[in-house]
Amino acid sequence: MKAEIPEIVSPPLVSPSVRDRGMNGLARLFFAFRRSSKALRLFLAIAGPGIIVMVADNDAGGITTYTVTGAQYGMHLLWFLIVLGPVAYFVQEMTVRLGAVTKRGHAEAIFASFGRFWGWFSLLDLVLTDWLTMITEFIGMTAALSIFHVPPVLTVMICWLIMGSMIMTGQYWTWEKITLGFVVLNLIYIPAAFLVHPSVSDVLHNSFIPHFPPGGFTNTLFFLLMANIGTTIAPWMLFFQQSSVVDKGLKEKDINYGKLDTLIGAFLTVVVAVVLIIVAGQLLQGTNVDDAAKAAALLIPQNRFIGTVMAIGLFDAGLLGAVCISLASSWAFGEVFGWAHSLNRKVREAPWFYAYYFFDLLLAGTVVLIPKAPLVLITLFVQVIATTLLPAALVFLILLLNDKKTMGKYTNTRWQNVANITIVVAVIVTSTLYGISAVFPDLFH
Amino acid sequence: MGRILESLRAQVREVNRRYATPEIAMTPFVKFCLVGLRVYLLMLVTMMVVKFILVARQAL
Repeated sequence: MKAEIPEIVSPPLVSPSVRDRGMNGLARLFFAFRRSSKALRLFLAIAGPGIIVMVADNDAGGITTYTVTGAQYGMHLLWFLIVLGPVAYFVQEMTVRLGAVTKRGHAEAIFASFGRFWGWFSLLDLVLTDWLTMITEFIGMTAALSIFHVPPVLTVMICWLIMGSMIMTGQYWTWEKITLGFVVLNLIYIPAAFLVHPSVSDVLHNSFIPHFPPGGFTNTLFFLLMANIGTTIAPWMLFFQQSSVVDKGLKEKDINYGKLDTLIGAFLTVVVAVVLIIVAGQLLQGTNVDDAAKAAALLIPQNRFIGTVMAIGLFDAGLLGAVCISLASSWAFGEVFGWAHSLNRKVREAPWFYAYYFFDLLLAGTVVLIPKAPLVLITLFVQVIATTLLPAALVFLILLLNDKKTMGKYTNTRWQNVANITIVVAVIVTSTLYGISAVFPDLFH
Repeated sequence: MGRILESLRAQVREVNRRYATPEIAMTPFVKFCLVGLRVYLLMLVTMMVVKFILVARQAL
């Protein structure tokens, strides 16, 4: 008879319950890491439209406004720029939801929902506003490079080359990654803020304690505040981001990532604005500065690096603005007329889309090169014409986001309506007053 | 050139036909907003026309 070999069971080194908890903890950590890295990769794939539109919002006109704000009032209006960040976010976030749910650009959405009259009004106003704004971007870019003695003709040709080649790839993703590269370049201003050694307590005080600058609430301050509001929310931004969301193919399930993308963009736009105000406030306060190129030229003798950074940043801001603005118009036309209108299509597949883009580019660049062209008048017209489009575009946005039949569960909540309607009313009032002041400056003296 | 213009006119007519009827439900709030917008734009356009006349008078 074979003796049975007793089974020897080694006593566990660790008790089973503790061993299981340890393994579960490690497994939990591992899976949490995998979930996070997957979420991060997904976010990086979806991020783009929000960051691009927000940073492009700091276009040549925006850079000028912030520089003038800093030169006139030092760092006293930092808090106001920080308040404008969430304002821009709340407005732009609505375009993410609208684009992802309806799969339509803003122009098409207006035509479809509100009919021909409002559709044509919005489209034609957008085209005019965008074209005039493009001219101001080219003005900024030529002024920036003229600091380095680059003739305007060469600057315009360089811009045409860069902007033309960016969209010829036939892939939305490629265009987006190239544009994000220019977005990163736009952050070139940030080191300048540290180099001017601002007082940290002053920066914090002026950033978080709302107050009027010395001198109180004057007409000049009022116009500057309105200019800052006007540069933060521009009509083309609504059209651009919504069309970009559609072209990128964002779905409803991507909306939260789209919102995060927009939030990061709003943060970056505020950072650049704050940095510019700090630099101008530290180095140019009290100096009579009315545009960013002059500011850069004044800064170069004081600090070559900072002056150069200002000039390069101004060029980049103009370029980013021009790319986005011209695409906003091209997409709008394509959506309404039913042309192929995607950056994922090659030129021969979407000829009218690209034709309009290049036409816009060439026309705006050519105007800047015309001797004695009324560029100051054009800059003034932009402010006035934008006043006619922005309120309508914002009102349509609110109405569309409250259309339950279209938006379903993504309809505006009560609190979103409170925030957004407050913002829309405030923007309409201030932009109207700004437009009136541009046309009748004596009315406010 | 004539053909291009004719093609464009045809496309505009097609757009007008396609979007003849607004899709949004015309609730009282929507109607109020649209009327308000029309009044607002009329006011702005009037302002610009007045300015244009004033500038033209000064030039003459």
